[in-house]
Amino acid sequence: MTDSDSVDPGGPATPGGPADPGRAGDPRPGPGAGAGPAKRTTASDRFLRLLTVVPWIAAQDGPRLEEVCERFGMTRKQLLDDLQIIPLVGLPPYTPDTLIDVTIEGDRVWLRFADVFARPLQLTPDQGLALVAAGAAWRELPGADPEGPLATALDKVAGVLGVDPGDAVSVALGDTRPGLLDSLRRAAAEHRRVRIDYYAYSRDERTTREVDPYALFADEGAWYVRGHCHMAGGERLFRIDRIYDVDVLDTRFTPPPAAATPADGEVFTPGPEVARVTLELAPSARWVIETYPVDAVDERDDGSLRVRLAVSAQPWLARLLVRLGPDARVVEADDEALLHAGADAARRVLARYEREDGDGPRPR
Amino acid sequence: MSAAKLERLLNLTALLLATPRPLTAQEIRERLDAYPGDLAAFRRAFERDKDALRAMGFPLEMAEVPGREQPIDGYRIPKDRYYLRDPGLTPEELAALRLAASVVRLEGTSAREGLLKLGGLVGDADGEPGLAVAALPGGPDLGPLFGAIAAQTPVRFTYRGEQRRVDPYRLDYQRGRWYLTGFDHLRTAERLFRLDRFESRIDALTGPRFERPSTAVPGGAIEPWQLGEGQPVEALVLVDAPQAPWIAQHLGPDAVREERFDGSVVVAMAVTNRDNLRSFVLGFLDHAEVLAPPELREDVIAWVRAMARAEAGTAP
Repeated sequence: MTDSDSVDPGGPATPGGPADPGRAGDPRPGPGAGAGPAKRTTASDRFLRLLTVVPWIAAQDGPRLEEVCERFGMTRKQLLDDLQIIPLVGLPPYTPDTLIDVTIEGDRVWLRFADVFARPLQLTPDQGLALVAAGAAWRELPGADPEGPLATALDKVAGVLGVDPGDAVSVALGDTRPGLLDSLRRAAAEHRRVRIDYYAYSRDERTTREVDPYALFADEGAWYVRGHCHMAGGERLFRIDRIYDVDVLDTRFTPPPAAATPADGEVFTPGPEVARVTLELAPSARWVIETYPVDAVDERDDGSLRVRLAVSAQPWLARLLVRLGPDARVVEADDEALLHAGADAARRVLARYEREDGDGPRPR
Repeated sequence: MSAAKLERLLNLTALLLATPRPLTAQEIRERLDAYPGDLAAFRRAFERDKDALRAMGFPLEMAEVPGREQPIDGYRIPKDRYYLRDPGLTPEELAALRLAASVVRLEGTSAREGLLKLGGLVGDADGEPGLAVAALPGGPDLGPLFGAIAAQTPVRFTYRGEQRRVDPYRLDYQRGRWYLTGFDHLRTAERLFRLDRFESRIDALTGPRFERPSTAVPGGAIEPWQLGEGQPVEALVLVDAPQAPWIAQHLGPDAVREERFDGSVVVAMAVTNRDNLRSFVLGFLDHAEVLAPPELREDVIAWVRAMARAEAGTAP
């Protein structure tokens, strides 16, 4: 049961579909696939790692050093250094039979008398959530196998954490139709061009175009594919829920070097060639400045706002104005047509309803 | 951390795990024989060690030592709160979990450390090139809230200018935001909260465990037109062909009431928030219309009529 008292929808409606910003065509990069800078190992990392590695080795029958390193993401030197400390650890009176016994023979290692560290430390809430959220996100994807290894892994981990795997965390990355995400992923992996039937939201038109898909990602509740658009002649982003059909073609492409892809966290900045409008917004329309990139905001004492922002295409502005109604007014525009975009759109909508009203709403 | 301190912390952890009863600071000092001889220096070092263990999430407990004439506190790490129960993951399951965590990442958290505890890094982290990547926004309250959901203990935070005490039931990530569903003791009803609207950090309360309702907590899609109170009204909305596949996919096949020959569809939506429904439908511009009920249809007509008039009056 939801409730308007405790939840602000964050703008009258941003359902991720027709009522949110048309980003496709904007060169706004999403989170990249980069792994991020490697974290330096701190002393407490080493302490915690030891408490994790010791129980595992002790439970095996002489694993190879190389396997331990791979499994725990450590170098051979780190492991050998740790194996120097371990024989000094144990329980009073710290005699040979109460200290952990380390035996290295050839490239294998055995630990004995390590019962006190029989198991690693429990997962922290952050560690548990990171795993459960990732698993929950996968589970929601179309085509996910409800009995596959991920599903069973998630059940087991949730059981250890004491939560119901289906009822503690849900993650909706974005709408996609079954098969579509897989086709695009396969095409990106195999560097094959695709032909897509795409609804360009900001321009309000449906087009067929060929795209070299570089990478897929989910951001802010929607899936995107980033790639070179042969119709636009440049790199573009496409929202996958607005791709109605995809054909994977036989044409291969060479992806750009990784360095050429935009860095994480860069935000779309409209260039000077894009038309601007100045809007007066009621306080209740504040979500506009939280949702779209704006050039300038002037806030008055009464909470109303004067905002200057870029308009990538007229239908986008029309939609915004029609939804805002009396809460917004265009006071200045680079382009005369933009001044009347809201009223023109309102008249078109009205005409549709009046046409229907003439015959009465369709009975079916 | 020097090698000596690392060794001391390992031995301290072992000692506190193995002890059947709480050990006093003095007993720890004597048994461990790894602290400075000077009493003041010992106390400082021991305090730092306790802080370090707590900061790393160790369940270090302080309790009165039984059987003493003078009451005195002691320390221990209960095994049942320290040892991770073995979930018995197969190599395939570990690999699947690793792949999922490498692709769906929650900002500010490390799935890697969790994977190590569960059995280590198995399989291939990178998967295939071009694979989808999703970064979920993190936040300082997410982990503690998840911990409270698992522990079934209440939390307290400020929301809309009021302090709420909430039994947390679930976290939902929707349209780029995290939401918490739980029982709000201030409203004495189940409520939905947006995490980015919290006005304070959360306090995890140590109150008694709450009972989760046995009926499943409603989760799933939280749509703007459902953010209201009262009985939902079923609205029928006609969406023209170009956007018909999108709406059918977004609302699901059950919402589609009619597919017309021209490719348009009529969908049913359960509405509790009329403003948000109007806003949503107007997002389609003149490619959609509310067919029923009449009052919702009239609401849209009155809205656009007022707008067309107002602008007509001011246009040059």
